Amino acid sequence: MTSPSDSASDSSTNDAAPAVQARGLAKTFTGRSGTVEAVRGVDLDVYPGEIFGFLGPNGAGKSTTVRMLTTLTRISAGTASVAGVDVLRDPDGVRHRIGVALQEAGLDDRQTGRELLVLQARLFGLSRTAANTRAEELLELVDLVEAADRLIKGYSGGMKRRLDLASALVHRPDVLFLDEPTTGLDPASRIVVWDEVQRINAQGTTVFLTTQYLEEADALCGRLAIIDDGKIVVQGTPSELKSDLRQRKSLEVEPTLDDVFLDVTGRQRQRQAGEVSEVA
Amino acid sequence: MKTIYILGERAVREAKRTPDALLPTILIPLFFLVVNVGQVAKIFDVDTTPFLEGQSYAAFQLPATLILAASFGTSALYLVQEIEGGYFDKLRATPISRSALSLGRLSAEALKTALLALLIIVLALPFGVRVTSGVIGVVLLILLTAGWAVGYSGFLQFVALKTRNAAATNSAGLIFFPLLFLTPNFVPRELLARPMEIAATINPVTYVMEALRSLILVELDWEVIAKGFAVTAVFVLAMVAINVRTMTKYD
Repeated sequence: MTSPSDSASDSSTNDAAPAVQARGLAKTFTGRSGTVEAVRGVDLDVYPGEIFGFLGPNGAGKSTTVRMLTTLTRISAGTASVAGVDVLRDPDGVRHRIGVALQEAGLDDRQTGRELLVLQARLFGLSRTAANTRAEELLELVDLVEAADRLIKGYSGGMKRRLDLASALVHRPDVLFLDEPTTGLDPASRIVVWDEVQRINAQGTTVFLTTQYLEEADALCGRLAIIDDGKIVVQGTPSELKSDLRQRKSLEVEPTLDDVFLDVTGRQRQRQAGEVSEVA
Repeated sequence: MKTIYILGERAVREAKRTPDALLPTILIPLFFLVVNVGQVAKIFDVDTTPFLEGQSYAAFQLPATLILAASFGTSALYLVQEIEGGYFDKLRATPISRSALSLGRLSAEALKTALLALLIIVLALPFGVRVTSGVIGVVLLILLTAGWAVGYSGFLQFVALKTRNAAATNSAGLIFFPLLFLTPNFVPRELLARPMEIAATINPVTYVMEALRSLILVELDWEVIAKGFAVTAVFVLAMVAINVRTMTKYD
């Protein structure tokens, strides 16, 4: 595994046009129980080649923001563009340029891994032959060649995650959105996914990653933003955020990203089983 | 069109892999055919019942069997599973038209029901059922049955998109039974009691049933056939339009 500083994010500069940009992005849900402001004016700039981390506690607005940026949820207010394409004006244009792997690997259990990748590739306009070739490449990339012709319902959680990741890459997207790609995975499978994400990023794909695992953000992301209660509360590189906290609180030792998170969200830490700390 | 074909192909593959879901769509309609014919066949003797047009009561009941077979809407249940499992979002994130998302599954439903209708017609032949309108009539029977299946699956697809809940979608399928029993299911419309006749006249399923029945019992009666196809076409177009709109506004 490489460190974030070794990744393609090094090549990104703030002079480049953002791969993802949001201004005043907001989402309001209206239901029987009233109105909920899930996202309340998010401003974001993600630059080409970055792995950008989007952190927040459960219900903070991470997934809703990703769903708006990926055209899956309508924007209530504000503007957003992805790969230079306006999300509101040209959602199909955005869909051509993005790969999406959402929470809890949404796959069709009644297909085989190969069939799912071929189908996905064909929906992005590849011919049957090209789709077969691309599926084979991706099965090798995520180490699923042996399981390729088995029904997905027989796959383990880690295999499903890797297949989901592969399915998001069929059309070589400019920007890859990963919504909590390692939630529910054991530590070993989590490391495999991290390696895949870094490998994909090294090939030039911008990665927008939401996670509630702070260790994951620390390991993968060149920059990150923390969202709480629908608003961005802080953003920067992990080291910037840590040193800022150290200065503000006059700490003697370097704080962790957990400490930054708890400071800006005012939440308590809860240590879960496994190697990675999780915030409730 | 290409995308509809790709998604339809997948839905056919899915249906082939779940024969357990196909079996009730064959057995339940045939069960109702046998039971309904068994209960009233002696009352409606071929020699003394003019509306049978010289055929057995099974021929008169066959349209109800075909419509029932076309009204399971299994594809909507697959859709709601996809919604609940998250795969529907994966498809929505691809640059395909929202109409293809709806029509992909509906095209597979049409193919599946066409084969099912053919099978039911073939199974009815040993019981003395004949399609009086000939080969053209058989083709029209299959097309009309498949068309109805598309409309009804479209309706259940709408319920699936709105509720995103398998139980609600499944329950909505039962709406068909009141509609079926408010048709001239056992006797022609003119022999129904007045309130039932009014209900049957309002019920669009009546016109589909009468068109199917006319294809089986008499020579091609284009006026009756046209009404059945017109009702089905309006139903299909309305449901596809509503579903595309629902998918476009889907959050």
